[in-house]
Amino acid sequence: MNNKRRLWHIFGPVLCAFVLLLVIFLMPWERTFSRDAIYQAANSQTNTIFKGSLMKQDAFKDGYVPFYGSSELSRLDPLHPSVIAQKYRRNYRPFLLGGPGSQSLAHFLEMQGTAKQLKGKKAVVIVSPQWFTKKGQNPDAFALYYSPLQACNFLLGIKKDTVTNRYAAKRFLQMPEVKGVIKLGMKRIARGQKLTGFQRFYLENQRRMLTNEDKFFSTFQLRDRIKKINKQAKLLPNRYSVKALDKVASEQAAINTNSNNFGINNRFYKRRLNKRLLAKLKDSQRHFNYTKSVEYSDFELMLHQFAKQHTNVLFIIPPINEKWSNYTGLSQTMYQKAVSKIKYQLASQGFDNVTDLSKRGGEKYFMEDTIHLGWRGWVAVDKAVKPFMAQSDLPRNYNIHNYFYSRKWQKKPYQISLTDENPLNGNSKESLKGK
Amino acid sequence: MNANFINLQPYSNPHYFVYLMIGLIPIIIGLYWGHRLKIYEVVFSLIFLFLIFDGEKWQQGVSLIIYILFQLLVTYGYLYYRRRKNSPNRTWVFYLAVILAIVPLVLVKVQTAFPQAKIPGVLAFLGISYLTFKTVQVVMEVRDGAIKELNLGTYLRFLLFFPTISSGPIDRYRRFAKECDIVPKRKQYLNDLELATRYLFQGFLYKFVLGWFFGTYWLPRITRAALITGTAVGGLKLSWWVVAYMYCYSMYLFFDFAGYSLFAVSISYFMGIHTPMNFNKPFISQNIKEFWNRWHMTLSFWFRDYIYMRFTFFAMKKKLFKNPVRLSQAAYLLLFLVMGFWHGLTWYYIVYGLFHAFAIIINDCWLRFKKKHKDKLPSNKYTKWLAIFVTFNVVCFSFLIFSGFLSQLWFGWQ
Amino acid sequence: MDTKKEVLAILQDLTGEDLTEKMDENIFANGLMDSMASVQMLLNLQEKFQIDVPVSEFDRNEWDTPNKIVAKVENLENE
Repeated sequence: MNNKRRLWHIFGPVLCAFVLLLVIFLMPWERTFSRDAIYQAANSQTNTIFKGSLMKQDAFKDGYVPFYGSSELSRLDPLHPSVIAQKYRRNYRPFLLGGPGSQSLAHFLEMQGTAKQLKGKKAVVIVSPQWFTKKGQNPDAFALYYSPLQACNFLLGIKKDTVTNRYAAKRFLQMPEVKGVIKLGMKRIARGQKLTGFQRFYLENQRRMLTNEDKFFSTFQLRDRIKKINKQAKLLPNRYSVKALDKVASEQAAINTNSNNFGINNRFYKRRLNKRLLAKLKDSQRHFNYTKSVEYSDFELMLHQFAKQHTNVLFIIPPINEKWSNYTGLSQTMYQKAVSKIKYQLASQGFDNVTDLSKRGGEKYFMEDTIHLGWRGWVAVDKAVKPFMAQSDLPRNYNIHNYFYSRKWQKKPYQISLTDENPLNGNSKESLKGK
Repeated sequence: MNANFINLQPYSNPHYFVYLMIGLIPIIIGLYWGHRLKIYEVVFSLIFLFLIFDGEKWQQGVSLIIYILFQLLVTYGYLYYRRRKNSPNRTWVFYLAVILAIVPLVLVKVQTAFPQAKIPGVLAFLGISYLTFKTVQVVMEVRDGAIKELNLGTYLRFLLFFPTISSGPIDRYRRFAKECDIVPKRKQYLNDLELATRYLFQGFLYKFVLGWFFGTYWLPRITRAALITGTAVGGLKLSWWVVAYMYCYSMYLFFDFAGYSLFAVSISYFMGIHTPMNFNKPFISQNIKEFWNRWHMTLSFWFRDYIYMRFTFFAMKKKLFKNPVRLSQAAYLLLFLVMGFWHGLTWYYIVYGLFHAFAIIINDCWLRFKKKHKDKLPSNKYTKWLAIFVTFNVVCFSFLIFSGFLSQLWFGWQ
Repeated sequence: MDTKKEVLAILQDLTGEDLTEKMDENIFANGLMDSMASVQMLLNLQEKFQIDVPVSEFDRNEWDTPNKIVAKVENLENE
């Protein structure tokens, strides 16, 4: 065999493999998912689903409504929204988005892939005041939820330089997980420049590959919770009534929280709160403060996205288990201040579907554990969700104010009511515009 | 430090391979046409070294430079001593040189084991464990007179040979020096390229496919299940999940490390350097001795040549042991204890070392017994498979110790 | 003195086998020799032939058959 032929023997197959791979990943493939797969995905809360686009897009076209939230969504007791929707054959099914550590910034990014599908539709947001820590989104958690595909969508979807885009890009740049050409692109956007021609070309191809990856692999590793949902649904009364649900909720909660005085789920208590940890947590949260936080501006990104999509949104503000906060020393006054600040931010921009449960943390069986809604809490959620879903879809208009991206707002102690000093009046010069 | 640096840890992601292959092209073309582009090779190596130690890891980079300077001082100091006319070749000088060469590693291991200790100026960097093997072997061979010349450039290239810097395989100086300046014949180099390509893809399969399944996909699930069941059953917290963990971890360890080693060997071959292989189907070993001739070979051969053989040679010459069997047992114990400590100062690494020492001692007893009763013991394909089965399980159990999972299960830390 | 005979005597002493008919057999691969035995062999060779073989010079591949060992010893003797 001569040398050239040998070289071809050695590297030929490699070259062919690469060319094939490139072709496969750059081709515009079509794929539809089975209804079962989508149902599984909607309840699986896996990172792949969170980061992807296609499953969500198909789902939102087919009667699914996104439930944006964090770890409370995984409390799959019989009163969980997914179980109730299944049991009573509701005209919607929740698509659970979020998990431990997902906060507004992760959600804003995640929402990039479904702007079209949610246009004029509905969404539910469970906004936890716990997100509103001084530094907002935890970078390590962000790394779990960071999706290069959605980052491409964000960058390529930018039409002009706005405060929102600049703010978002700046925040993304603070996350170490954002790398490569995406990072370079973010830098330009943060400076108010356009992407370069090369960046656009590169990102478009990257997006094409990532979209294919999403198509090929998003059904992998789905967490199957359908059996669990069906099992839980059996515990519910056949005929819907709030009273009957409340009864089931109390019964279930009583069985499941009998190991401790906090009203915390037995399994959670046993697995997550050993004696040493409990001792350490006592009075440990006295200094917690949710009233001053970048999260308020990150949250504004979500609101901005909803406004852009004209989505009709129901916001739910959950409480903290009161027995628990008494134990850890977390201040309820501070908590309420944070809640009022969130509510102000919502109301002043026209988001008027807000269900504030934040004062009900002392009610029996309202919480599943320390800070997560459960049993009777979920019943209260359903009391808001049911009528909300009964409304017909109408595109909503909101008045978005860039003031909420300002440091001034982030640091403002709290807002008592709308009639209190209104920062939107006469303060426009101090807003970020033009800075 | 500026976070904008591109930092590339060796063989960690697909990008690395793309950059690496682009960088290798001139070297490959050069070698194919009979030229070794030395200056390019140096620049290329330095760039990839820089990429390992830049950005947030810059302190590691500084550590590496200081370490190398210190080792040069030790090696050349000792070489100078040995090359003087009528060098007295005192044993204590030799010991001093070896100890000096090991001191940085010892400090780093202590620092890692006791982070509170905060030894000033000590900072671990990627590859220190493996670099120490290289410098110590040179000191030992200088003592024996096997190395009489040490070209500074060659020595540096040997120490900093970037395909193997982070985790081996551990090459030998004299082997490396013979190869690093010559150009392989074209036929030979074509063979190298063929093997290099094969190893590269075998490495992908091992590390990124099989290693991923065992390590990233299954292991965390098994870990969780084992911990939960362990809490439920109490006592020693043992369950079948621990057994599952043992096999899964063993597979992960093999595919991850063998995959990594294949990358290192592959890239070396592209550069016309025959870095020795690290694994040779370890799980078909019929006894522990054979296992160590097939598993992490460059490490076990290093220990064999520089600790076991030297120790036995010394002890026999001085007649420290009357019984050669006892001597070999003592030497095994020494070897595996050192290996345990080398892995790190935690109980499970040291127990792992002891476990293997006893396993190989028992194995030796058995082999002697077998030799004596050759005619009475059956030897057929069933006994062969039995031997493989037993060896495999003993090895997997040792990896369970090594993994530190028992520590996590019992004491809640790793 | 017949080097070959002496070497074979040493090897027989170590392995318990007469290797006269197996001059090209790999004595490490077939389990007759191991590291321990090779150290003993080196010491015995040093004693018998007054040659100096440091452990560094012991490369298994160069010492793995009786024939190779004989050649090595003859080489070192003539040095």
